[in-house]
Amino acid sequence: MALKERPKPFLLPDYCKGCGRCLDACAKDCITLSDQINPMTGLVPVELDLTDCNACGMCMDACPEPYGLRPAHEGVIEDFELEDPAKLFGVKPSEAPEPTDIPNETLPLPRTEPLVIKGTYASAVGAILAGCRHVYGYPITPSTEGAELMAKFLPKLDGTFIQAVSEVAAVNMMYGTAGAGLPTMTFTSSPGFSLMLEGVSYMIGAELPGVFVDVMRGGPGLGNIAPEQSDIKLACHGLGHGNTQAITLAPSTSQEMLDLTILAFELSFKYRNPVILLGDGYLGQMTGKVQLPETMIKPGIPKWAVYGDAMHRKNLISSIFLTESDLEAHNHHLNAKYEAMKVEARAESFLCDDAEVVLIACNTPARTAKGAVQDLRNQGIKAGLFRPITLWPFPVEELKAAIHGAERIVVVEASAGQLEDEVRLALSKAGVRQFPELENVRRMGGVLPQQSEIMTRVLGRKEVLA
Amino acid sequence: MSKTSVIYDKFERHSHGEGLKGHATHYCPGCGHGLAHKFLAEAIDALGIQDRTVAVSPVGCSVFLYYYFDVGNTQAAHGRAPVVALGHKFANPESVVISYQGDGDLASIGLAETVATAQLGAPITVIFINNAIYGMTGGQMAPTTLMGQSSSTSPSGRNEYNGQPMKMAELIAGLDGPVYVERVALFDAKQRIKAKKAIQKAIKLQVEGRGYSFIEVLAECPTHLKMTPEETEKWVKECMEPVYPLGVKKDLTVEPWFHRNAPCFKGEKILALTGASTEHPERFCKGFPTGLDLNDVSLKLAGSGGDGAQTAAMLIARAAISEGFDATHIPSYGPESRGGTSYADVHVAETEVLNPGSPDPQILLAFNAPSLAKFGPTVRKGGYVIYDSSVVTEAPVLDPSIKVFPVPFTGIATDLGKAVVKNIVALGALQAATNIFPKDTFLGAIRVALKDKCALIPLNEEAFNWGIKSVEALDQ
Ligand SMILES: Cc1ncc(C[n+]2csc(CCOP(=O)(O)OP(=O)(O)O)c2C)c(N)n1
Ligand code: SF4
Ligand code: SF4
Ligand code: SF4
Repeated sequence: MALKERPKPFLLPDYCKGCGRCLDACAKDCITLSDQINPMTGLVPVELDLTDCNACGMCMDACPEPYGLRPAHEGVIEDFELEDPAKLFGVKPSEAPEPTDIPNETLPLPRTEPLVIKGTYASAVGAILAGCRHVYGYPITPSTEGAELMAKFLPKLDGTFIQAVSEVAAVNMMYGTAGAGLPTMTFTSSPGFSLMLEGVSYMIGAELPGVFVDVMRGGPGLGNIAPEQSDIKLACHGLGHGNTQAITLAPSTSQEMLDLTILAFELSFKYRNPVILLGDGYLGQMTGKVQLPETMIKPGIPKWAVYGDAMHRKNLISSIFLTESDLEAHNHHLNAKYEAMKVEARAESFLCDDAEVVLIACNTPARTAKGAVQDLRNQGIKAGLFRPITLWPFPVEELKAAIHGAERIVVVEASAGQLEDEVRLALSKAGVRQFPELENVRRMGGVLPQQSEIMTRVLGRKEVLA
Repeated sequence: MSKTSVIYDKFERHSHGEGLKGHATHYCPGCGHGLAHKFLAEAIDALGIQDRTVAVSPVGCSVFLYYYFDVGNTQAAHGRAPVVALGHKFANPESVVISYQGDGDLASIGLAETVATAQLGAPITVIFINNAIYGMTGGQMAPTTLMGQSSSTSPSGRNEYNGQPMKMAELIAGLDGPVYVERVALFDAKQRIKAKKAIQKAIKLQVEGRGYSFIEVLAECPTHLKMTPEETEKWVKECMEPVYPLGVKKDLTVEPWFHRNAPCFKGEKILALTGASTEHPERFCKGFPTGLDLNDVSLKLAGSGGDGAQTAAMLIARAAISEGFDATHIPSYGPESRGGTSYADVHVAETEVLNPGSPDPQILLAFNAPSLAKFGPTVRKGGYVIYDSSVVTEAPVLDPSIKVFPVPFTGIATDLGKAVVKNIVALGALQAATNIFPKDTFLGAIRVALKDKCALIPLNEEAFNWGIKSVEALDQ
């Protein structure tokens, strides 16, 4: 509404901080500092004498407070009495509509012949079928091919691939797109994942979905580009600062690189939380047979998103809870969510029913261990393999069933015992005290445990026992 | 106008909107942030974009910008606001995204994000509050702190050991990405009007899809400059302005360019990209090659980069999978990604490859002498070694149970006029020597692999047949 006459300023003294910025803005000297401390604020507000005021508006433009000097319109209270602001201005903080969910659509795909592609490609294709059109990344071996494939495919699908200035930037681009409610992901490897953890903590705090494919390599430091299971601890216990936790999936075939990537997107939206897919250098590079699913997803927009439209105007993405009790409550809420995620525990048990020796392994070492189990069985030794597919939550119930009746447990891994620590922690938390002493086959630095080493470990002990 | 419809009627997010906090900002008296907020809110109002706007708040005193703005709000990590803004912009190109940042945030911890985003040039708007100091953490030195200016971390004044103040507007204007860069101030009525206009213009350029814009606002932090608001205004004018001259640093006239279609979700298109086919490949195998192993054949291919070992390995895996078996191929390169060593481990299993590595292969295809010397001794008893006799003149002594096939891969390929087909000669030799799959299985895989380069198929078939013939010649 265009006012015929420009309004003169109006001030509620309680909303004046007494900064004085309006004083020199007024050429008519209408504004003076009071000498009375306002008991409500402890500040000294200004006083207006509008006798000479020509309604130029300069003072209002100089006031940094949105509710400081304002134009006086008709009906505005001249004599101020402290009232409940809700009564004064109404309770509704925003007139924006209530956000609602725009649900995902599941679209059919024809049945195709298996693809023959490498693990990172399988994961990239999985992400596309899961509806992801926004990928941000920074090159790092041995995950680079995933990003390269996305750079090739996404422009053809009117999607976005951006090579960020760093992993720090990449994860924060994910934060933005995830905040807008869309599926987003990255490909990285250990040193890059370390850099992303700041952002992962923020995403968990702000409850944002996102998929991190971490093709692990040898560490610490720059280490090397060969496969090592170097980030199990990081993914299960070290996702940045604070009370963080994320479902961590450990594929062991190219097919699982695809299937578990699709699952990762589903779970990350289900729980509004990042999901980590831990591969290893072999899995990333290895070509194998990959059957595509018969459906794909066209994502909607969840009701909590900040999409940048009227429907979602009300929303806020933030991880700040300045009041201690609010943050504590938020962490309790997160804990309840982590607890609920436990139903997602997944594992594969291979010939464990009657196994006397149970091997425990994940990722590529699990395949080597599976080869060993087959060989041991051929030699008449009752061996089995327990393979956690989720490292967090650890599938402890399945583990208990698998090691039931086992005389020996051998943890096979390409790390200094990071998987074994998970096994111990899971058993301890589940109150399992009675289990055979854990033996291990461990290689590091990019050397993977070999089938022959596993055989030697199992058979060597057998001879000693005999 | 003083209060716009973009500013919430009540600051619900500020201590649950109770009491005075429902209508007063959390900023110190006289702080420049409040004015910058008002001008930003007015611009959003004036442009009618409240329903399209996403405001990204930084870490710093303005971390709580979302208390006040009735638009989509996102709060970012320290320094990362511009890339968070990009994530929003790419998610919804129709949205108007504003990254609002302080000098510690923008010019220090987030400098890489700041510069890279500006250079990318995507149409977002950055409002940069330069108050020459860190506010939130209590008055430490900022990249913008003036020479001689004291702060809690430059107690005796900024000196040459701390470097010179950072002139962000000039730095950003020096990049090719941005279309509009201006430095404004808040210290008097004239500057405030200019500031208001600049902010509005910057956002308008975004609305029109013309590109990235950057407004540096010289702002007052009376608290940490330890002056009254009035003195601070004077200080900004007298001390800051000479170092940070006001005005337009860059203003390009560009056509709107940021048009992006909605992402595509067409199944056929995606399948075509992946190369997935609904056509069932013809099968030629009568069964698994149990003559080699009951259920899992392990191969190693070794040579140097350029020998085509990886392509050959891929063709073996492809051939196996088209026959309904499982197969894996693991490449391994030397640290030099080109021209170095190049090995491949391949497994072919009847149902599932259990262990994809080939530390002790049944079959070795060696493309040069070092590879033969390195991997020959790892071949299992009763296995097969096929090597390029054009380049390996002296074969190593291997276990007598191993069947050895010297085949001149390079010689044959060169005679055919294309040295690069030596790996296909090797595949022919592999077929004849081991009978792992029928000839047609390999030829099928070769044809699929070359479906985009049909002209090369006859040459490759010929190379393959020569590989077979030379093994047959060895038998005689
Ligand atoms: C990673 C990280 N490092 C340090 C901090 C602490 N910190 C919070 S605000 C801030 C300085 C902000 O200064 P500036 O961007 O100039 O904004 P102002 O407060 O002056 O508005 C710092 C260093 C943080 N929050 N996160
Ligand atoms: S409107 Fe103009 S004349 Fe009136 S008080 Fe404000 S600055 Fe002074
Ligand atoms: S500028 Fe606003 S807050 Fe400051 S003294 Fe004037 S009315 Fe009060
Ligand atoms: S510390 Fe400085 S920048 Fe922060 S609110 Fe106070 S005056 Fe403003």
